[in-house]
Amino acid sequence: MTARLSLDAICKHYGKDDNSVTALAEITFSLNAGEFLAIEGPSGSGKSTLLNICGLIDAPDSGCYYFNGKPLNQLSARERCAYRRREIGFIFQRHQLIPAMTVYENIAYPLLLNGERPQQIRHEVEQLLTQMGLEQRRQQLPQQLSGGERQRVGIARALIKRPQLVIADEPSASLDHQHAHTGLQLMRELNRQYGASFLIASHDPFVINHCDRKISLLDGRIEATA
Amino acid sequence: MNWLLIATRNILRDGTRVISTLLIIAVGLTALLMGNGFMLSTYDSLQEIAMRTEGHIIITDERTTALPGGAHQQLTLSGWQAIQESLWEDERVLRVLPRAHFEGIISKGTQSAVFFGSGVDPQEEFRVHGPFLLTSGTLNPWLTAEELPDVMLGRVLARTLGATTGDLLTLQTRRNNGEQSEITVRLAGVFHNGTPRTDNHTLMVNLSTATTLLGTDHISQLSVYLNQSDESGALKNALQTRLDGITVQTWQQRAELYHKVKALYDRIFGVMGIIILVVVFLAISNTIALTIYQRREEIATLSALGTPPARIYANFTLEGCLIGIAATALGMLLAYATANLINASALMMPAPPGKTEGYPIFIYISWPHYLLTSVMFIFIIAFASLTATYTTARSNIASALS
Repeated sequence: MTARLSLDAICKHYGKDDNSVTALAEITFSLNAGEFLAIEGPSGSGKSTLLNICGLIDAPDSGCYYFNGKPLNQLSARERCAYRRREIGFIFQRHQLIPAMTVYENIAYPLLLNGERPQQIRHEVEQLLTQMGLEQRRQQLPQQLSGGERQRVGIARALIKRPQLVIADEPSASLDHQHAHTGLQLMRELNRQYGASFLIASHDPFVINHCDRKISLLDGRIEATA
Repeated sequence: MNWLLIATRNILRDGTRVISTLLIIAVGLTALLMGNGFMLSTYDSLQEIAMRTEGHIIITDERTTALPGGAHQQLTLSGWQAIQESLWEDERVLRVLPRAHFEGIISKGTQSAVFFGSGVDPQEEFRVHGPFLLTSGTLNPWLTAEELPDVMLGRVLARTLGATTGDLLTLQTRRNNGEQSEITVRLAGVFHNGTPRTDNHTLMVNLSTATTLLGTDHISQLSVYLNQSDESGALKNALQTRLDGITVQTWQQRAELYHKVKALYDRIFGVMGIIILVVVFLAISNTIALTIYQRREEIATLSALGTPPARIYANFTLEGCLIGIAATALGMLLAYATANLINASALMMPAPPGKTEGYPIFIYISWPHYLLTSVMFIFIIAFASLTATYTTARSNIASALS
């Protein structure tokens, strides 16, 4: 199977000299196309740092990483931005919806950035709104939504451009069990539908058990894979 | 996507923050507009005083300054009546006033003082000075030149002599040929304009009284008053060509005091303006930077989603422009209301340099200046928004999202 994302001896440190803290040490793994991979570990184990590096919003100090076989280390800031815009979808722990945009505009935003035609954007967004059960909320602002609804908007925004990689950081953290279950089901369904690879950081056993594979991190190192 | 609508929503979603930002900008703009309005009013008053004192155009004859007999009088302009008549035919001219300046000693009993006198056309003279020459006493505005001519004294000169209205006074002077000349006059009233030289030493008599006293029909100058001040230059050039050998000057060429005081005020207002502008710029930049920094998570989210930096800068700069437009509109309104309030309250300023009396504060409302200053403010706010967004967007996305 083709590796969508592969990491080879990735290291990341914070601070300098004597105060340096190792966030990631020699992280090596691959994420296959269409795979649902969980990263688990306690707080401070390096899950978020790993996700940030995989999502190209942070850079490693050493090691190599590849996206569909293409090296990412040497990308300029502009190229990294273009990669995030086209290939990567983010589901944030605190949803991170744009406060001044309506549900419709939040979901449509990635397509707009990619220069899709307005008609195409309307069609795609309406379809996803229905699929997510958000069609009655399309003109609401994020502050008018419940936590579960925000999470669904966040998922829809991450998936609407049909990215090859979806990065999800603690997607169930701010949700009750029922909403977490619904959210996870949606991700699974869209994973099957669009073939996106999912990299999910969580320490929620319910989420981890729904993934194809899991990597356990402890103190910035891979402790186990299963 | 309607970025203007989104920018408006962003502004409206945090009322308290936006109101404080608007107020800071509006108060800063008001301070600058008030300072500017006061400066314009001061310059205009100085200009008005200079023009009313000497006239828009001054005609003198400077060919014969060294007169026989060592006389101090400057009565050198002859044939002035013909010039006056020709000027009356020009529709740009409002008034043409002859003035004969002379000096000597004024006495009341044993009290004497040096005076600088002017023979004038009294009715017209008081009209052109308007509010800049305050008179008191049982004044006969015609300053009669009959058997017992009238005189008006500067306030301090009258006080020095202990003279009151109706008192008889003696004027002594020296004619152009060196002869002593003397006349008895009746005090018709006093005047003052807050300038010590005027109030301490000057007096005015009817022109015919002066010519009788001085034994000549020559005068010192013709002061020409125009309907429009800005026609001074053109008329001066035309007169200069026509009146060969006669000196024709505009009020700007003669108003040494005006230029000195204006230069002083330029520096004072300039420094004050720069200080206000720097304070306002720092306050605005700081407020905008703080506001944008508080939204670093949103900026980081936009970056994480792959928004090109230029799009992020444009969005936040647009918000800055909208805040700027709202704040400057509020500032203009505030400045307009405050200026009207101050103008109506007749507050007094202390006496300026070279004056003994204060003057009422008046704040000009100049819409071109209001608009120009507002546009400048909007640029400052847009620039502050752009630089603050640039700095914030360049910080680490991951740390802003954590």
